[in-house]
Amino acid sequence: MTSAANGKPAPFSGRFVIGTVLLLLLHLEALPAPAAVNCELNYPSRDVARLFPGSTGFKTSYFSFGQRGGAPLLRKVEARLGGAPALYAPLDVPYTLYEIYQGDKKIGYIHGVNQKGQFGVIESFVSLDLKGTIKAFYIQRIAGQWARKFTSPQFGRQFLELGLKDFQRYDTVSGKGTGKVAAIGNPAPEAATDFYGLLRAVKKNLVLMDEFVYSAEGGRQ
Amino acid sequence: MISRFQIAYKNLLRKKARTLLTLVGIMLSSWVLVSLLGFNRGYEQALNRDIDNMGYQLMVMAKGCPYEAATMMLQGGAGLRYIEPSMVAEIAGREEVEKITPILMQAFFDPDKGDGGGIAGYYGVEAASYPAMKPFLRFHQGGWFQGEEAGEAVMGYEAAELEQRVVGDMIMVPEKNVPLKVVGILERTGTQDDGTIFVPLKTLQKIAAIDKITTIGIKTRKDADSQKLETALYQLPDVQVVSFSQVKQTIMKLIATARVMVLSIAIIAILIAMVGVVNTVLMSVLERMQEIGILKTMGAMPGDIFFLVWCETLILCASGGVAGIGLALVFSRLSDLLVRRILPYAPGGELVDIDLKLALLTLAVVVVVGLLSGIYPAWKAGRVRPLESIRSEG
Repeated sequence: MTSAANGKPAPFSGRFVIGTVLLLLLHLEALPAPAAVNCELNYPSRDVARLFPGSTGFKTSYFSFGQRGGAPLLRKVEARLGGAPALYAPLDVPYTLYEIYQGDKKIGYIHGVNQKGQFGVIESFVSLDLKGTIKAFYIQRIAGQWARKFTSPQFGRQFLELGLKDFQRYDTVSGKGTGKVAAIGNPAPEAATDFYGLLRAVKKNLVLMDEFVYSAEGGRQ
Repeated sequence: MISRFQIAYKNLLRKKARTLLTLVGIMLSSWVLVSLLGFNRGYEQALNRDIDNMGYQLMVMAKGCPYEAATMMLQGGAGLRYIEPSMVAEIAGREEVEKITPILMQAFFDPDKGDGGGIAGYYGVEAASYPAMKPFLRFHQGGWFQGEEAGEAVMGYEAAELEQRVVGDMIMVPEKNVPLKVVGILERTGTQDDGTIFVPLKTLQKIAAIDKITTIGIKTRKDADSQKLETALYQLPDVQVVSFSQVKQTIMKLIATARVMVLSIAIIAILIAMVGVVNTVLMSVLERMQEIGILKTMGAMPGDIFFLVWCETLILCASGGVAGIGLALVFSRLSDLLVRRILPYAPGGELVDIDLKLALLTLAVVVVVGLLSGIYPAWKAGRVRPLESIRSEG
């Protein structure tokens, strides 16, 4: 059954219903495969409330290089991070984005990335407002005797109110920068790999958010 | 000359919506049936593959719950009971044993894993005997340990991916704060090895401050009497023997209930679809009484009318069956994901395995059951009395 006026299938026509069911099934088929490792909050309900005080709810969505931009975008992001390639299957990794709401109004995002640390993976998250300013910093996982020094509130506070502009001139390869990023102190000098890894993780997080979220919303930083 | 199938096809097109809904019913039933049959076969194959990938047929461990032991083997859990390493030499001397390897499983509390901490498992194995048990393991990077007491680790692919490790990197054993150098990363195997961190046995014993082992893996000779070996091993003090055939039987028993339930649902779905077929074809017959009467007055025999109506059933069931099987093939990965979420234990690899033979079998079942359902409407149509039908509907 087709609408004669515009040639489009009429709502609830046979083709419309079949098309909708197939689309739904294809969408389910396209869910992220469990093989690729992404970075998710362990307890989203509790963590979101803690990382974004004042929020009343959140929605979880996924994005990946494979879905948007592919290899050229991946190379662009890697270039923005100093050219060092990612270690494992970066095209397939489904990044988890938590969109934060206060009532019906979106007030920000929480996003995390995995980063190579000295003795294992570092899982770090930032809460961002709609302009891309860091409102909270959280390390979910880090290995080593010095882990607590990095997970301390004092260390995390140094990242608050920073944004991509502050990290623009931070070189993730040499670990050198200027301004507020250069002023961030290492609480564990014996763990330089983890410290510079964390700075790279935050910059990577902000760059990914810029490419996948803020630029799509027309608010590139 | 127009064929019987063409007439049946045109009859079905007269009521498109009704025909479509009946087709959808048959399609969904076929989808469920072929997916279930595919699961029945795929699960067993995947389980066999997982068990073969273990590399050994028998495991000896300290006495305890056999289900705990099965879980420990298949999911790499931590064993809490220990056996003496001297038992390895004792068992290795038996003629049925081809290869033997001691294993120590240890779990350490990692306060920085997740919120509130988590457990990190390590698998202590001998570089001299363990790789020989699993010659099929391939390395993505690096290789096995350089020595039996080396501060080194070999990581499964997913463990390395999760921890973002490459050969040459370090990992830290939590709780003990012992650093280990990653010397090898295995290729993805689709088994529990992917998430395992292997450490030289003596190194792990030193880290855990324990001189015992948790498990002995045994590979028997091809011509050996495994049953005799099992009986002999049971005579050893305070150990239990778990053979993988036992583990498989236990898991298959656990799965059997779920399989029966799903099979019942599939049968009910098929029955509902077939009631739909009967309803559709019967309605079609009742609506065409006058027409059938005219056909008879023109010389059509009851058998001709019967086969004409039966053709409609055949077209419905064959088309619905083919569409359902096609959907099952297209969405087999989705079915796989759903089954994995439901089952308490799912082996690696494809769980829903549909091939041409299975597809044809399902199609045959759907068509045969459909044709059986179509007998009554076809018989009723064949019995129509021409004059009565023309008069009653005139």
